[in-house]
Amino acid sequence: MEGVSYQRFPKIKIRTVRDDFMKFELRETDASIANALRRVMIAEVPTIAIDLVEIEVNSSVLNDEFIAHRLGLIPLTSERAMAMRFSRDCDACDGDGQCEYCSVEFHLRAKCINDQTLDVTSKDLYSSDHTVVPVDFPDSSTGLDNADNRGIIIVKLRRGQELGLRAIARKGIGKDHAKWSPAATVTFMYEPEIYINEELMETLTLEEKKEFVESSPTKVFDINANTQQVYIYDAEAYTYDDEVLKKAEAMGKPGLVEIHAKEDSFIFTVETTGAIKASQLFLNAIEILKQKLDAVRLSADTVEADEQFGELGAHMRGG
Amino acid sequence: MVVKEDDSALFNDLQENGLDIDKQALAAPVKNAVEKFHLLPEFLKVRGLVKQHLDSFNYFVRTQIKKIVQANDLITSRIDPSIYLRYKDVRIGTPSLVIDGVTEKLSPHKCRISDLTYAAPIYVNIEYITGSHGSKATQMKRDVIIGRMPIMLRSCCCILYGKDEEELSRDGECPLDPGGYFVIKGTEKVILIQEQLSKNRIIIDADKKGCVQASVMSSTEATKSKTVIRMEKEKIYLYLNQFATKVPIMIVLKAMGMESDQEVVQMIGRDPRYSELLLPSIEDCVKEAVHTQYQALEFLEQKVKKLPYSTTYEKEGRVLSILRDTFLANVPVRQNNFRPKCIYVAVMMRRMMEAILNKDAMDDKDYVGNKRLELSGQMLSLLFEDLFKTMNDEARKTIDMTLAKAHRSSRFDISQYIVKDSITVGLERSLSTGNWDVKRFRMHRKGMTQVVARLSYIGTLGHMTKISPQFEKSRKVSGPRALQPSQWGMLCPCDTPEGEACGLVKNLALMTHVTTDEDEGPLISLCFSLGVEDLELLSGEELHMPNSYLIIFNGLILGKHRRPQKFANAMRKLRRAGKIGEFVSIFVNEKQRCVYIASDGGRVCRPLVIADKGVSRIKEHHMKELKDGVRTFDSFLKEGLIEYLDVNEENNALIALYEENAKEGTTHIEIEPFTILGVVAGLIPYPHHNQSPRNTYQCAMGKQAMGNIAYNQLCRMDTLIYLLVYPQRPLLTTRTIELVSYDKLGAGQNATVAVMSYSGYDIEDAIVMNKSSLDRGFGRCIVMKKMSAVSQKYENGTSDRIIRPDRGNDAEQVQILDDDGLAAPGQIIRNMDVYIKKQSPKITRGPVQPRADLADSAYTSSKQTYKGPEGETPVVDRVVLSSDRNNNLCIKFMIRHTRRPEVGDKFSSRHGQKGVCGTIVQQEDFPFSERGICPDLIMNPHGFPSRMTVGKMIELLGSKAGVSCGRFHYGSAFGEPSGHADKVETISETLVKHGFSYNGKDFIYSGITGEPLQAYIFMGPIYYQKLKHMVLDKMHARGSGPRVMITRQPTEGRSRNGGLKVGEMERDCLIAYGASMLIYERLMISSDPFEVQVCRKCGLLGYYNFKLKTGICSTCKNGENISTMKLPYACKLLFQELQSMNIIPRLKLTEA
Repeated sequence: MEGVSYQRFPKIKIRTVRDDFMKFELRETDASIANALRRVMIAEVPTIAIDLVEIEVNSSVLNDEFIAHRLGLIPLTSERAMAMRFSRDCDACDGDGQCEYCSVEFHLRAKCINDQTLDVTSKDLYSSDHTVVPVDFPDSSTGLDNADNRGIIIVKLRRGQELGLRAIARKGIGKDHAKWSPAATVTFMYEPEIYINEELMETLTLEEKKEFVESSPTKVFDINANTQQVYIYDAEAYTYDDEVLKKAEAMGKPGLVEIHAKEDSFIFTVETTGAIKASQLFLNAIEILKQKLDAVRLSADTVEADEQFGELGAHMRGG
Repeated sequence: MVVKEDDSALFNDLQENGLDIDKQALAAPVKNAVEKFHLLPEFLKVRGLVKQHLDSFNYFVRTQIKKIVQANDLITSRIDPSIYLRYKDVRIGTPSLVIDGVTEKLSPHKCRISDLTYAAPIYVNIEYITGSHGSKATQMKRDVIIGRMPIMLRSCCCILYGKDEEELSRDGECPLDPGGYFVIKGTEKVILIQEQLSKNRIIIDADKKGCVQASVMSSTEATKSKTVIRMEKEKIYLYLNQFATKVPIMIVLKAMGMESDQEVVQMIGRDPRYSELLLPSIEDCVKEAVHTQYQALEFLEQKVKKLPYSTTYEKEGRVLSILRDTFLANVPVRQNNFRPKCIYVAVMMRRMMEAILNKDAMDDKDYVGNKRLELSGQMLSLLFEDLFKTMNDEARKTIDMTLAKAHRSSRFDISQYIVKDSITVGLERSLSTGNWDVKRFRMHRKGMTQVVARLSYIGTLGHMTKISPQFEKSRKVSGPRALQPSQWGMLCPCDTPEGEACGLVKNLALMTHVTTDEDEGPLISLCFSLGVEDLELLSGEELHMPNSYLIIFNGLILGKHRRPQKFANAMRKLRRAGKIGEFVSIFVNEKQRCVYIASDGGRVCRPLVIADKGVSRIKEHHMKELKDGVRTFDSFLKEGLIEYLDVNEENNALIALYEENAKEGTTHIEIEPFTILGVVAGLIPYPHHNQSPRNTYQCAMGKQAMGNIAYNQLCRMDTLIYLLVYPQRPLLTTRTIELVSYDKLGAGQNATVAVMSYSGYDIEDAIVMNKSSLDRGFGRCIVMKKMSAVSQKYENGTSDRIIRPDRGNDAEQVQILDDDGLAAPGQIIRNMDVYIKKQSPKITRGPVQPRADLADSAYTSSKQTYKGPEGETPVVDRVVLSSDRNNNLCIKFMIRHTRRPEVGDKFSSRHGQKGVCGTIVQQEDFPFSERGICPDLIMNPHGFPSRMTVGKMIELLGSKAGVSCGRFHYGSAFGEPSGHADKVETISETLVKHGFSYNGKDFIYSGITGEPLQAYIFMGPIYYQKLKHMVLDKMHARGSGPRVMITRQPTEGRSRNGGLKVGEMERDCLIAYGASMLIYERLMISSDPFEVQVCRKCGLLGYYNFKLKTGICSTCKNGENISTMKLPYACKLLFQELQSMNIIPRLKLTEA
């Protein structure tokens, strides 16, 4: 054991980055690291979300818990979240979670006074901290007018109905409640490695080639219009569905294509709720993963490790 | 022949032109069928979902009630016959209530809230005699109220009748609510449809011993009787309640004037086989030496049951009147002409003999055509008739009593003597208890009404179509429980409960209509004018001539017709032209050589498209006109494109499922095949791909699913409401779902389901749920419970009072109260919290106290506290103040509790696949696909092979295609040919188009390791229902706790915080295992240990004297031979109880 190093140097290549979307390659590592990253992104990167609601007046059709639940699920911009304190270990407020270090206060007051239904949306939430506000999607890709973009609907009010409340947002992680999860989608796939047996492929007629290409539900292969050769159009579109392999088999040409999953390279897709930027989510995830590893390493031979990791701690100490 | 030629031409075309024509030819009829579907929404628009109830009630209030009043319209005094009261007219007003002399209109919702009965006054116009002794004058009075009639919601008397959606919502009513029930004292009551054997029809069957019998249940306005003619030991006898023993039928015939045996033989038919069967009976008659009518009457006289208190004893009169009025009461005897009755008996005997010769001629009691459904209108009319007659009798008695008095002070006014309470109270009582006790008709039925199930919208609908059986449920016979082929299209084949009522309780199918009575007079005269030869004019010989058919109208033999087919066709033509009622059925029975015409109420029937020689009468332009709104369903009916067929007439029809299946002889075409299912079974997608019991299970479970109840659900004050926080409409719908607006009031959510094994917490149908999904609101539900309090007024003028809470003392308990002493909405209410601070006066009886306020000391506290489980945090949702029937202030509290799913909550798909939540797993541990799809729940694949719910798999596929292409997919029953169900093939194409595998399986990574799973996982959305069974309401454990007073054993049941029983079988196990100390501990130490003093000498129990500190035997009067031992208290109790019954149990003690 001693002296042997399993250290690797994973490489990351970013393909696309938008505010709420990112696609990148992660190479030269294995599934455990990739999955750890994914899991941290979903469940352990902190954000801020409404956690406590004090309803002052509610004559809407939805009941108090209903509205509180909806408020909780509204994503709030959480760039500050990493620096904020969890209210449970905040010294400034004895953990009751109502101080500037660990909480943000929101107010909402809406009343419908005319005959038209009034939509109460996330834009009606007034924050005590301008850095923590409900997420706005100004550059909606559908090209909708900003006037139409009214935010996330909380409740609809008819004439005479009123809603007034005070809400406190706190820092939290997705493990405790999904509202604190910054990730809408975090997923990865093994990079497929496709090899076309050109020789065998040439034995096919154009008709057969077309059939072969169409057998895949996603567009992986295509036929070059000029050369009439089958080429790999988009290897990553392959969903490991084995359809093409089965097709090749059915055509009596096993080994027409060979497809392997590259065990050490992953293609990540990250989409956020808008609470933090996708790139930031990734960086925060790495940061947290490091902290977790630090916690393991630093306490590797302490009694605390036993408490924290149980048998695992002893195992680590024992080597 | 023409068709055949066409076919071959088409075939040639096919071969010539290749595939192009093929597609067209296939597409054409499909298109046609799709269009016919639009009849259905149109049909349901005119019919509603509960038309049978509404029609029946409307018939009652419009026609039947008038008939009843007309038949009993005169009250005459027995003392002075010139004094009378005559009812001229009767009508039902609009629902209203008189409060303090002011008439106030009622709305159903108001009645629900303030515990009132939704009823309207019954007005009568009367003519009566006033004045006393000498001066009498006739007077008229209009609109006298004789009582209040509960009104069926949405009926013609209801204020909701004919209102549109907006008006309905303004009345606080849900526009989707079907109506068809009553509101009695604030609770909604539905009169169940009652299944009955046909009245006034000859039923041939075999009794227990295998004797063939013909029976008739006669029912006329005057009498009800049962007549049975049975073949016993080759002789034919009559069984009638009025005769003490069986009577030979020949003697009965002779008593009715058929003295000649030859005529009897002629009337039955001259076929020697029949005569042979009759011969022993004739011989028997001769043996008894009965030859003449007089002798026969003499003979029968001895058989008549002796009534205990018959005073007037007229000999012949008795037998004759029995024969006239009770024996076959449905056949009228005019001017003592018994001939129709004799012929009727002859026909009964003939049919019986046919059945003896040929077992196929036996009638099937379970055949739907031999059944009648009794609906609310009929039930109410029975009740009303009885109450009305009782009221008149009472009135007559009081009139007589007043008239008998010599000196009357006031002027005599007969109209004063009508008591209006008896009808109101009688109707209300029967409807609210469900007990129909009508002595006049010897009717004692229980459980006729039920509280409308408001658990889910579909449950309510299902309740309205429920048919309660005629038999008691305990009977262990399979016949009535089996699925009857004649149920097709009339009764739902899936929707029946499991267990004891299986197959007996049924539900109506989607398009079924139940008829109401129709006027017989015009129909009978029409029959005669169409060439029916009157029975009176026929000799016995002519009756069964080989070329003629008997015409039987509502069970009555009218005569015969020589060209029955032509007659039937003429009648049908008249019906299609709308000259006679559309529900009149004409049925030619070739076997019995009869034409049956029926216009009575309670027959089930359904609409069908008429076809001429296999060509549908509905053409494309008809459907286009329907779409454009020029046409309605009724116009189809009026123009003879569609007609209603009842079960019997269906036997004369050849019904094609689709137009393309129609052949030369086809007479009708089904409108849509999925209408053979009922409302509840209509929710199941692809039911025709499931194993049939699964559909039945789903029918039971669909009623327990939580969702939206009605649009007015938040204004209702039901005792218990379950609501879903985010209900959805199913991604995979059916046409029925749209027709019954289940898509507007859904009860479930579309969950992404992965069919795979996960974690081992998913065995035995348990499901694994995604915690993040639950966080986001999946399966979240609201449970609302009602609590109520009444501020009572007492007879001495005092009343309860609700006072402001004293915040100084017991502040903890009253913290949720407002200053008015009632719990405030929005407050969290915990166990032991006071929700109303009420006080009652100490003295509530005695003389009326002055209005002045009583001192505080005159009140005792009668506050009410909330009792709920510890740790739960329900909230006071609403507080409603209303006045109840007795004008007391009634305060109702709704307590709301929002729950998220937890381990042990029950879920179910729409395919009878229920399961509890086995574990809840973090999202990051859940499997995911490379698209980022992560399931909401995981279902174990072992649920599939044995259940064979292929429909569920297709639902998954269809929903998956639906979400990816953005179109709701359909899965109506048998819908593939007509395009109401998407085919798996096209679904797969859609899936492939959107980058999924055609088989619905996905390549999935484990969320725990990040490695791909070994198998492709079948994954996609399935509509999941959350069922009302939740652990929170069921979980129960206890250490020490309350005990029953009498036995000192722990109480039983969760509600009493009871102990968990070690039952007989558990005890057996422990004995077998030899765990004696455990048994001792369970049955004694932890139950009811008791120390007793036993006298070793006499073996009886003594007592412990605390002064002398010894045990003493009270029998031996000393304490010398006393031993102390332990005993279960129940055992000691048994000894004492035995002693009280003069049995001495003695204990013999030995050293252990």
